[in-house]
Amino acid sequence: MSFTITCPVCGERDVYEFHFGGRERGPPPSHDNLAIEEYLRYAQFRTTRTEAQLEWWFHANGCGSWFTTWRNPANNREEKPREMSNE
Amino acid sequence: MSSKLERLWGTSPLKSHYDVVLIGGGIHGLATAYYLAKEHGIKDVAVLERRYIGYGGSGRNTAIVRANQRTQENVRLYDEGLRLWPKLIDELDFNMMFFNCGNLNLAHSEAAVSGFRLAVSTANFCNVKSELLDPQQCKEMVPALDISDRPYHPIYGGMYHEPGGILRHDAVVWGLAKGAFKRGAHIHQGVEVLGIDTDGQKITGVQTNQGSVSCNRLAVMAGGYGASVCEMVGMELPVHPLTIQAMVTQPLKPFLHHVVSSGAYHCYANQTLKGEVATGAHMDPQVNYSTTPTAWYMKHQAESLTDFLPCLKGVKFMRIWAGLADMTPDMAPIMDGNVMYDGLFIDVGWGYFGFKSGPITGKYMARFIADDEAPDILKPFALNRFLENRYMGETAGATNYGHWN
Repeated sequence: MSFTITCPVCGERDVYEFHFGGRERGPPPSHDNLAIEEYLRYAQFRTTRTEAQLEWWFHANGCGSWFTTWRNPANNREEKPREMSNE
Repeated sequence: MSSKLERLWGTSPLKSHYDVVLIGGGIHGLATAYYLAKEHGIKDVAVLERRYIGYGGSGRNTAIVRANQRTQENVRLYDEGLRLWPKLIDELDFNMMFFNCGNLNLAHSEAAVSGFRLAVSTANFCNVKSELLDPQQCKEMVPALDISDRPYHPIYGGMYHEPGGILRHDAVVWGLAKGAFKRGAHIHQGVEVLGIDTDGQKITGVQTNQGSVSCNRLAVMAGGYGASVCEMVGMELPVHPLTIQAMVTQPLKPFLHHVVSSGAYHCYANQTLKGEVATGAHMDPQVNYSTTPTAWYMKHQAESLTDFLPCLKGVKFMRIWAGLADMTPDMAPIMDGNVMYDGLFIDVGWGYFGFKSGPITGKYMARFIADDEAPDILKPFALNRFLENRYMGETAGATNYGHWN
């Protein structure tokens, strides 16, 4: 599906200009006493929610910024999760 | 034989308890229900389908079947699946239009030819017919191919897999539904699973839009939605749902007698028995659950297809649609049982290859559910392979297809 992503520098652009960088999952686990399973779980396991999630995007065919934005993978709209919409 | 027209499958009242509940009314769910009844005498089975059977990937794929994958573990499963089709058509007494036309995979570089050499070796080692062809031999198979230097990606050779072909995907759904229903399984359409109930370490049932249904065993076979169903019990999986598009051209006189696919063009094409050229391969690079095609891809597909099959220039695309491909880091599915909870079975991560494996997965998942022990052929596909760094190696090489691998 075609949709738009809002780049903080260039504004709203066609999704085909960007590369998807994955859901924001926080920092990688610390290397102190890191069990291999914990690292592999961080690197590979993630569920794509059917509700808005914070994601990384890279404006590959544009200004080259890396940024985060909220997007709902169920309808591809840039929308905040319901709990945050009253802020 | 009765002269009265009979429905292939019927409706049943939704009971409050079943022995086995299967979430997902596609070919995996329906095949599992069929084999549970047929081979294990387990008939107290419900297939819960949110929309109508075959609405998901089972009704959207381009119905190509083959057994020329990269790894021995996968080849063995798909090979048994491929040889199952004529038997299944007989057993179900339903015409699934199996057209054993063979699959030609094109190589557009020396590296691709080397990759094919490995794949052909694996196939032959597993007793599966697969052979390397030079460009001239490719042209003899598919006269419409342009093997000159003109294409953007010239053809360096090919890999031909004789046992493969195509079927009518809807017919597979209907035939399996007929078989499962006839043997006593309940097929419930319009029933959406909203939550999964557990009691300590055990699965106890599901919450649906039509009330609670308790069960002893639960299997998630919901195709591209499988990972989000598993999230209902807090299970995270290395599965990424991507929208994959496909289209068909207007019907044409038969000119393409084999399935043709090209990695470099990211394109495959086959001519169905209706004469339409079914083609596809583009996947949206970002995870999402939409099933909407894009104009960008229609243009890209037209350019790619006409580059190596120039005779298609001017032919019209008649229909375009999309479905979900749930990708895993190693391009191989996850089939496991008693994962996180006793009685919970998962069948996810089938990417764009879930159709060809439907019936054979149904057969072995049924055995897994019945015996409560993983059949040997399914053991390599367990979920913990990702936590033990044991990827299946189904990617062609160390290529980076997308953010998921």
